[in-house]
Amino acid sequence: MDLYLAAFGFGLVSLSVIAIGAVGFTMQFGITNMINLAYGEVMISSAYVAYYVNRAGISIWIAMIAGAVFGAAFSFLLNRIVYAPFLAKGTSHIGMVIVSLAVSLMMANLLLPIVGYYSVSYQNSTGDLIRVGSIILTTNQIAIIAVAVALMLLIHGLLRYTRLGKAMRATSANPTLARNCGIPTQRVVDMVWVITGALCGLAGVVAAMDSDTFAIANGATFLITILAAAVLGGAGQPYGAMIGAVLIGLITELSAAAWSPQYKEVVAFGILVLVMVLRPQGLLAKRGALAAAG
Amino acid sequence: MNTYYAANLLIYAGVDIIACLALNLQFGVSGIVNFSFIVFQAVGAYTAAVLSLPPDHTPGFDYQIYVGGYQLPFPIPWLGGAIAGGLLAVPVGLVVLRKLRSDYQAIALLVLSVITNQVITNARPFLNGAAGLASVPPPLSSQLDPNTERYQYLYIALTAVCVVLVFAVVNRIVNSPYGRSLRAMRERELAAAAIGKNPVALKMTVFIVGGVIAGLSGAILVGFIQLWAPSVWLYPETIILFAAVIVGGRGNNIGAILGALLVPVGFEEVTRVLNTNNLNFGPPGLLSALQWVAIGLLIIGFLWFRPEGVRPEPRRVFAGSPDTVEVELVRPA
Amino acid sequence: MSGLPDQPMLVADDIHRHFEGMHAVDGVSIEVPEGQITGLIGPNGAGKSTVLAVLAGTLPASSGTIVFEGRDITRLAAYRRARLGLVRTFQLPSEFARLTVLENLLVAAPRNRGDSLFGALLGKRYWIDDELRLVDEARALLRRFGMSAKESDYAGLMSGGQKRLIEIMRALMLHPRCLLLDEPMSGVHPRVVEEIRYYLQSLRAEGLTILMVEHELRLVEQLCDSVFVMAQGKLIGSGTMASLRRQREIVDAYLVG
Repeated sequence: MDLYLAAFGFGLVSLSVIAIGAVGFTMQFGITNMINLAYGEVMISSAYVAYYVNRAGISIWIAMIAGAVFGAAFSFLLNRIVYAPFLAKGTSHIGMVIVSLAVSLMMANLLLPIVGYYSVSYQNSTGDLIRVGSIILTTNQIAIIAVAVALMLLIHGLLRYTRLGKAMRATSANPTLARNCGIPTQRVVDMVWVITGALCGLAGVVAAMDSDTFAIANGATFLITILAAAVLGGAGQPYGAMIGAVLIGLITELSAAAWSPQYKEVVAFGILVLVMVLRPQGLLAKRGALAAAG
Repeated sequence: MNTYYAANLLIYAGVDIIACLALNLQFGVSGIVNFSFIVFQAVGAYTAAVLSLPPDHTPGFDYQIYVGGYQLPFPIPWLGGAIAGGLLAVPVGLVVLRKLRSDYQAIALLVLSVITNQVITNARPFLNGAAGLASVPPPLSSQLDPNTERYQYLYIALTAVCVVLVFAVVNRIVNSPYGRSLRAMRERELAAAAIGKNPVALKMTVFIVGGVIAGLSGAILVGFIQLWAPSVWLYPETIILFAAVIVGGRGNNIGAILGALLVPVGFEEVTRVLNTNNLNFGPPGLLSALQWVAIGLLIIGFLWFRPEGVRPEPRRVFAGSPDTVEVELVRPA
Repeated sequence: MSGLPDQPMLVADDIHRHFEGMHAVDGVSIEVPEGQITGLIGPNGAGKSTVLAVLAGTLPASSGTIVFEGRDITRLAAYRRARLGLVRTFQLPSEFARLTVLENLLVAAPRNRGDSLFGALLGKRYWIDDELRLVDEARALLRRFGMSAKESDYAGLMSGGQKRLIEIMRALMLHPRCLLLDEPMSGVHPRVVEEIRYYLQSLRAEGLTILMVEHELRLVEQLCDSVFVMAQGKLIGSGTMASLRRQREIVDAYLVG
């Protein structure tokens, strides 16, 4: 039982990491209809940016911001230079998936010669252990949870109470109508990429913090867990992604305690498959993964 | 020319051609974006390997742990590999190909590819984990010493026979009324259903046939290189094949062959030439990384400038048609 | 086969279709008599296209039954309904773009021995006779609809009106018993509208049953033997256009001029 409580604690950290990434990913999809398979590589790139800043002696918590800025800038440029032109050309959904996969491949391999194959880790004291019953977490991990909660609240605030947020929701629901209503969809899309890019960068840094070491190869595994959470919650639904993250984070950590930590991604994948088979639209979404009808 | 070098080149070319023909059938002709293609080649290779290997406790092989080990003679391992590819396609296809829209299908298959590789890597007793299988007995090795030149010719011939066979099968499928139905489904699935085509049945069939051919390609390859490990079939390997089909010309069997020669074979050769001439290419792994970047650029470049590929899908003109004018293409999206 | 000669060919009973919490179709019952052109009209968002999609099987009904030629097809997949002779067209152009015009017709033909995996693998000799026969049949259709010259052009490059004709011809290759046309005149040049009207009338003269969703009331008046009127997911009237014009509520709700 203690084991499971401890796993629950890890699950809280895990879900925090996943939530930040999944919300960003799902918002990219919801508002621009783009399944950005390069998301994992942007995450890992941002983690490396933070790593270099950190190596220069700056605390990881400040370096995290550098990661976020990188993620935001890179994602914005990625859309402007690659995705938007292809979309304007009328490329199909599947064509865009292939494009984003090619981008992710290029990113991983452009980065490799620069950062090398070997795993690295942040210079970061793990902090003191805090004990609540059988749940043992370091102050770092608690800080990660706090960051995630803060970001979720910020996103909620953004979507609910700001003009931009409302514009984003309108564009997500019906882009043509939104444009006809005078919403500057081009600018909304730009802002979406900046904001979700920042989330992506933060998610990358936080995920790297949560693992002992990280390397380029982690990009794909990050992506899978985030995909699972996003699809589970309902593609394009930020609140769904949060719920999805909670479920994936807890279930994978509990299963790691029950079976083996090596199979965490397999569990995530298993959940992804189950969702796709039983409820392809996810928990919250109305349409999502289902084949277009009529 | 060195026979061993020629064998290496030709057999890899043959395997790549067979794989590209299968992927062209699935992706180019039928519109199924099978991002897990390499898994089907892998299952064929693993199956052929465990069918031809002796039991893993046999002296000389006991540094590995694996299932099977039936030491079956050629051609059973190759047949087994092909069948395994087809069998795997059934559950995967049933889960993924039925109700999901195409981009979700693609990412489900992509994730499958990543996860399967991880599982096989971690589950050591199954297929010897990360180390993979080695000392795989080449086909007909008891009849002819695999280290001789004559054996190389034999293997080339066997591969060539398979290439011709696969090409005949794929060609018949694509250039038939059935192929036309596949293309119609690719163009507009709902309209295809509205004229009586069963999209699920069509997709499953193509997925299975493609799986069989992919499995065969794996069996051929493992018989030649005599080893097979997870590092050989990581998910980006599928991307190379996609690049080949896109570059060569999707929907066109000759285009698929061309793509196979240009991309996987072409890149292999360039690497070999650069390596043997000892051109200093910086740190190890840089060349490989740059190749991947080039593959990504090829895909993006062709999707932007020439999505139909070097040899596009042919326009079918029937005898007695009034057409004599050169007609412009409709480009794939 | 249709039972009694008085039996309507297609009967939809109390069809409901909800999706995303909205009632797109709210208890609609329709009868399509054999050998006639029946219209389905109503303002935008009335649910007409949804009804058509449900009848064709593109969308499942949330409740209700559909009977075609005496047979319950409510649970039948769309492709099965097409094979039984209930064929639909689409409002937005749905040609197979990268197939030629002739191929668009050929692919619809149901009896082709080459249209199966085994048939294909057996080679050209096995199916060439069927293919040649169908090429003749398709070319005859192309002649009738005046598109012979475009036979080997990509369907994707045709004009809007030509694409409509292709879709209709494609449906005809199935020898349908009943055609479900979803706004066949939408986005089509007025001259081509007259052509299509002429073709539909000649098809009816040959005994084809048609249910047509249509906006242009003038056309509905010229073509349809009877009409169903929908608004906001419900049926608000049925009968001939003349009798409908006499009903005040219908005129107010929809019929203008």
